Parts: sequence; structure tokens; C-alpha cells
Amino acid sequence: MVGELASNYSTLVLMFGFAVVAMAPALLVSRMISPRKKSNPVKFLPMECGQVPSGEGRTHFMMQYYAYILMFVVFDVMAIFLYAWGSTLLLLPKSATLPIIGFLAIMFAAMAFALHQSGRRDIW
Amino acid sequence: MSVIAPNFKFSEFVKSILDNAFWMLLIFVLIGLPAVFIALFYIEMPVIDGQLLTPFLALTWLADPSRTIPILKAFMSTDLFKIAAFPGFGFAALIAAGTIFVERKMLAKLQLRVGPFYCGKFEGILQLMGDGLKLISKEIIIPAKADKPIFWAAPILFVATAAAFVALIPVAPGWVVADVDVGLIAVFAIIGFFPIITILSAWSSNSKFPFIGGIRALHQMVSFEIPLILSLLGVVILTGTLNLSEIVVSQSNFPWIIFLPIGAIIFFITILAELERIPFDLPEAESEIVAGWLTEFSGMIYGLVQLGTYLKLYAFAALFVVLFLGGWTGPMIWPPFPEDIITNGITIGPITAKIPGLPIFSQEMLNGVLWFVIKTVGVIFFILLPRGVFPRIRIDMLLSLGWYKLIGLAFVNIFIALGLLYAGVLGPGGILQ
Repeated sequence: MVGELASNYSTLVLMFGFAVVAMAPALLVSRMISPRKKSNPVKFLPMECGQVPSGEGRTHFMMQYYAYILMFVVFDVMAIFLYAWGSTLLLLPKSATLPIIGFLAIMFAAMAFALHQSGRRDIW
Repeated sequence: MSVIAPNFKFSEFVKSILDNAFWMLLIFVLIGLPAVFIALFYIEMPVIDGQLLTPFLALTWLADPSRTIPILKAFMSTDLFKIAAFPGFGFAALIAAGTIFVERKMLAKLQLRVGPFYCGKFEGILQLMGDGLKLISKEIIIPAKADKPIFWAAPILFVATAAAFVALIPVAPGWVVADVDVGLIAVFAIIGFFPIITILSAWSSNSKFPFIGGIRALHQMVSFEIPLILSLLGVVILTGTLNLSEIVVSQSNFPWIIFLPIGAIIFFITILAELERIPFDLPEAESEIVAGWLTEFSGMIYGLVQLGTYLKLYAFAALFVVLFLGGWTGPMIWPPFPEDIITNGITIGPITAKIPGLPIFSQEMLNGVLWFVIKTVGVIFFILLPRGVFPRIRIDMLLSLGWYKLIGLAFVNIFIALGLLYAGVLGPGGILQ
């Protein structure tokens, strides 16, 4: 039973593997036929529009929209929960919709509060 | 400008070619043919005309044309053919390559330019091949202090993830690489990998512009994933299934775009954002952050990322077609295979050959593929069009669009679907049964 379910996905994994096997030679061939000159160390510096790069490449970076990523973690799961209900809706009695409407109301209220907090750029 | 080497001798040139041909023939006979036989020995061969196809018989197909078509058909029903050629990688890569060329020409026409013109005799039709040769022969420069394994793996993973996405798309009845029960959830799972790969490649390059571009890409893809997921819930409510093939079959009378136009529009906008296309191309904003997370990619690495991007574009357009435009359904316009050839055989000059096993593809399948390709090309055209029309929007506008407007409209769409279902318009007892 579990094996049957998993075998549906085997072709998906094979497709992934096929793309890896088919694309790796492109990089290998490119590596073989392209010139490789290590004459100049400046060539391997990170791109900074012609300037000599200053500071670290991987730094702490202030992104004022960080709150939206936190919101994604919560509301993505909630959106997927709705699929469990939506895909079986035709089999459920009509009264089963009411708890979901309640769930949506709570979700909306929470999302409105989170969006309000995310919009306050001064606290992030 | 390259010149012929000064000590060039034509006789030595011919000798080198003959030498190479000799060694290739020798290696093929001594290693290639035995390897083919050993491989065929371990592959499960089909039964044709009541006779198990042994490796020796499989190689006699050149001498026996009547066995060719059954062998071809048996080969085309294998997973390998589906993965490598038809509904899988080859088909998608062909459409992706066509998309790149059409995009360049169309964008040029929109901006009163000519576009690719000189490569190839007709309208620069070989430009893509020339670009491919250029990319594969360019040096791959990896910045110092970059995380090399991840930097090399990121483009391959990008293409492979896009290919896994393509694997879920049903092209014609029965012609789908991976027909999974929860196809739509699998699509969301695969879409969730793209931001991770993007931020990994951006972080590994140890450069500032890819880093900022990667963070922007993360915000954008992540923000638009929720409207994307919610906009498709209406279709799932009305069909009651997550399998993409069954969703297509449910649209044999009306495509869902007629009943759920708001969901289709939201899904289209989120496609543009997930694909980082104008007006949502903040991660690659070339006038602000050079090329965003693609800045440090050079040579074939950049080529692979481009291929992955356009495979993803095809997959999203095909998903739109499958969910809202009815997939392969459409009036039968493909002509039927002539009965004359099946009963009497083909007459070429003085010879009449009766070939069993024709036709290779059924009329329904060819018609379905034709409609699917027509619709997909139409959707791809509308995805390409904004690039010549719209300016780029700011990141706060992007986030407010995704989080306020699109999510609100997605819930309106869900309630429209619920209303249609409970009012008895669709679903059990509705007008479609």
C-alpha cells in the first residue's frame, strides 16, 4: 500500500534525476572546452561595478520586510489546511462548512493584525 | 579573427579525421556494442507478436520493417520515453527554447527594434543555437571565497526542480510523467523549492548584489505563494479532486475560467511574480542591482539558469491551461488516420508494404496535444507581453499587492466557488452533469 503510493512518485524523482544527468555534461563540456586563465586575481573578485569590493560579501543585512516571511510560515500552513477541507467538500455535509467559516474568520483577524504589525516599519 | 595555423597541411588534416574515425569505430565495436547488449539483457523487453523481444531480435528491427513500429510503440510506452522525450524534458525544453526566441523577437517588435536578425537565413532563427554555443565556450568565473559546491550545484538543481515540476503536467489523456493523486499539493511542494535554491545560490556567491537580489527573490516568491495556493482552492472545491488529469476531465463542458475568472486573474498575476517577470522583476532589477541573484553567474551556469527559468515558465503556463482553460479538451480538429493505410498498406512506387501497428498515436491523443499546445502558447504569449508594456513596481507595492489585494480577492474567489456549489449551479445535480 505504502509502496504503491510511493511508486507514483518514482517517475517524479526519475525526472529530477534525468535533468541532473542531462545537465551535468553541459557544465563538464563547458569546463573542458572553455579557456581557464588564472592570470589576474582581480578577475575573481566579486562584481561591484568596476570598483574594488569593500567589506564582506555575506553581511547582516537590514531587510524591513522580514515580518512578511514570518507571516508566510504561519499562513502557508493554514492555506494548505484549507485544501484538506476543499478536496473532500463534495462528500461532507453542508453543516461542515460552518466551522471552516469560523476558521477563516479567525485566520482573517490574525492576518489583519499581523499585517498591521508588519506595516509598522519603525519597529522592524 | 582566427587564422589557419601556419604549418597547416591538408593531408595531415585528412589523416587526423581518418584516425579519429578509425578509433571511434574500434571503440564502438569493442565496447559500445557489447555494452548495448549487456544493457538490453537487463531491461525488461516487451512481447511482440506473441514473441518475447530478445536483445538479438531488438537489433534486427532495421532488417525487418514489420517489427519496427511495435518496437517503437513498446519503447514509447516506457517511463524513459515519457521522462526524456514527450511529455517530459524534451517537449518542455523545445517549448522553452521556442519561448526564448519568440520573446526576443516579440519584445523587439513591441519596442520598434528588429531583434535577432543575422544568425540563420530567416529572421535570425539560429540565434538561439549561436547563443548556446557562445555560452558553452565561455569561461566560468567563480568569485573568490565563493562556496564552490553549492555554486556549481545551484543551476543544476534549478533545472532539475523545474523538470520535476514539468513532470506533473498532463499533456494528453494518459500522457503524463507522474500521475499522482495529490498532484496540486505536489506542485505546491515543488514550487516551495525555488526560493530555497535561489537564496542558496545567492548566499554562496559571496557577493553583495546576488545577496540583495536573493533576499528580494525570497520575499517575492514567498509572499505570492499564499495567493497562488488560495486562488486554486476554488477549482479544487468545484472538482473535489487534487489529481490534475481528473481536473482536466472535469472541464470537458466548460473551462473553469468561465466560473472562476477572479481566481484565474489572481493565479496569472502570481505566475508573473513567481517567474520574476516584469512588472515583478525586482530580484533581477538590472538598473538597481546589476542582475540581482544572477550577477555572478557566467558561461554555461547562466545558460542552465535561463533554461530552468523558461522550463518553469512553460510549467506555470501549462498549469494555468490545465486548471482554468480545460487542458487538452477541445473540438476534434485533427483528421482521422486513413483506414486505407491500415487495411491495404502503403504504396511507394512499385512496392506495397503492409505495416502492422499503425497508427502510432491515436487521434484523440494528437488532437489533445494540439489543443494543449495552442492554449499553452497563448498563455505564454500573455506572460511575455507585460515585459514590453509595464514598468517595474516598488517592493512595498509588491508586498501590499500580494498580501492585501490578492489574498482578499482569493477569498472572494473561494466564496464564489462555495456559492456556485451550494446554489446548485455546479457540482452534484448541477448543470454540468
